[in-house]
Amino acid sequence: MTTVAPTSPIEYPTRHDERWRYAPHDLLGRLSFGPPSASADKIPGPIGAQIPALDGPLIVIVNGVVDERWSNLTAIPDGLRLSTLADASADPAVPVVAHFNPDVDGAADVFMALNTTFGVDGAFVDVAEGQKLDAPIHIVDVAIPDETSNTSCTGVVIHLGADSSATIVETRLGGSEAFGGSNTRTTITLDDHSTLEHIVLQDMPSTQVHLGRVEVTQHAGSALRARSFNLGAIYGRLAYDVHLAGAGAHTDLSGLYYGAGEQTLDQQITVIHTAKDCTSRQSYRGVLDDESAGVFNGGIDVRPGADGTDAEQHNDNLLLSNRAEANTQPRLEILADDVACKHGATVGQLDANAMYYLRTRGIPAADARRLLVNAFADQAVDDIGIDAVRTWVRDRLGTPDA
Amino acid sequence: MLHVANLTASIGGTPILRGLDLDVGAGEVHAIMGPNGSGKSTFAHALAGRDGYEIDGAATLDGVDLLDMEPEARAAAGVFVGFQYPVEIPGVNNMYFLRTALNSVRRARGETEIGARDFLAVAQEAMDLVEMKKDFLHRAVNAGFSGGEKKRNEILQMAVMQPRLAVLDETDSGLDIDALRIVASGVNALRSPERSMIVITHYQRLLEYIKPDFVHVLVDGRIVNSGDHTLALHLEDHGYADFVNHELDAPERPLSGAAT
Repeated sequence: MTTVAPTSPIEYPTRHDERWRYAPHDLLGRLSFGPPSASADKIPGPIGAQIPALDGPLIVIVNGVVDERWSNLTAIPDGLRLSTLADASADPAVPVVAHFNPDVDGAADVFMALNTTFGVDGAFVDVAEGQKLDAPIHIVDVAIPDETSNTSCTGVVIHLGADSSATIVETRLGGSEAFGGSNTRTTITLDDHSTLEHIVLQDMPSTQVHLGRVEVTQHAGSALRARSFNLGAIYGRLAYDVHLAGAGAHTDLSGLYYGAGEQTLDQQITVIHTAKDCTSRQSYRGVLDDESAGVFNGGIDVRPGADGTDAEQHNDNLLLSNRAEANTQPRLEILADDVACKHGATVGQLDANAMYYLRTRGIPAADARRLLVNAFADQAVDDIGIDAVRTWVRDRLGTPDA
Repeated sequence: MLHVANLTASIGGTPILRGLDLDVGAGEVHAIMGPNGSGKSTFAHALAGRDGYEIDGAATLDGVDLLDMEPEARAAAGVFVGFQYPVEIPGVNNMYFLRTALNSVRRARGETEIGARDFLAVAQEAMDLVEMKKDFLHRAVNAGFSGGEKKRNEILQMAVMQPRLAVLDETDSGLDIDALRIVASGVNALRSPERSMIVITHYQRLLEYIKPDFVHVLVDGRIVNSGDHTLALHLEDHGYADFVNHELDAPERPLSGAAT
């Protein structure tokens, strides 16, 4: 197995790197990394209250090491292999090497390289050909900053065999208020005509940093529905690199980022079309209050030969304070023929006419504001397919079911 | 019930209402007619509490001063304004909006809130009044509604809110004859000795359906004439020319340069 050593020549990103322009570089410089330190004892109590209650297998990772005490791996259905990433890597029959030896252009950045080195444990999900899994698989990552290395590294490898389907939820939390963070990397491979619903819930403490990467390879006719809720952390970064490698693949990425205080919530999305007749959708919404900042950097990259591509991208932002900011940047590179490509971005404030209208109907200003913000955010929350996750998001946002 | 005295309103120093006087008794329906730009809508929104006006004078409802209140407090006091251009609110379900509105004013008045099931009965009654189908309640507020649907939704809201004073701002504009009939019969059904109404309109047509007790002509931010419903017929025949031309009688100003 080839790994990128931490002493590799890859350097820390700077403000001049387009994809790191709005990151808090002073905080990134204070993150420290090392081999995983099993420290499950540090979890102060049951984490059940902090995560959506899903009815299915649960795998809990603390500081980069699976903690079997909090996990529930008893009811594993036929056709699902769910294990620790460490166990899977030790088994020569299991194809996880690509996760540790990325073949695209090597590591995208230094944090991915660090993850490749230190994120040796985590979760491994392999769904056998033709299996349709009903119960969602829940992967919970908890970071508890340590004095020697304050940032945990976790790996998640997901493989769906041909014609299979599954739902996987990744919840990312922090277990203390100390400075530090987590660096997670998820590698997803969807074989022909498989279908995955993948949800990320990022709710780290506001003293911590979250760096999350999701790398997806989709083969012919496969479908991904990815939903991300980027809610916590002082800097919460969710990067998706989706490669549509097989004809007729479909990817549907959407997310909500909801910032307050001094948070920066950063979405770095790239969809690469290399096969014919693939469709991709990106739809991200941001609500930004106080002095928070939102970033949407969305790429559609249509390579030569990817004819018949149909790609769309939308980013809408609602600013609730005149100190909040939204940064939106589309990156479109189209090198094929017969391509339909649309993109659009909006940044706005609460509609004063709508506020007035609601108030003339007796609804107090604070309630009217909440109603309008919820209405905006709900367009991202409404289509969550799992009731428990939708409820969790609504509770987290303080937006009861309408 | 409603007492308005010497009401002035200006926007950015430009006067719109220039001393409006109006008294509306309980159970009365008053029509306000006037040409474009005479201040009709401004009057409605000055009563509703829209931001951005410099207001002076008095407006009281049942002796309570409205002018210092926030819009939501005016609604709780019993003011309802039907908008000429109802606002679209995507993502907010009509039923949820109506119940939130009703419960907000009930809370403000110290009354108990109404539960979802009881509310359904209230909503059903209001929907029958304006001949709305049930799916209407599950659509987003005014989003994608036709002009007629929006106006019917205003009357539906009025029926749910049961205001003391309803001000209907050009509720007839943009309606075809069927929608006009539905809206007007909804309004008529809501007439009551406890409720006063001000119907603002451009045309006499609406007043064939909603017969007012009084008609007032608003020109340049003042009521320049009042009468019974026959005044509306007069306006239909003669237009507003009788009332708007008095500027022609203003004394000629000296030519510039002709300084004394």
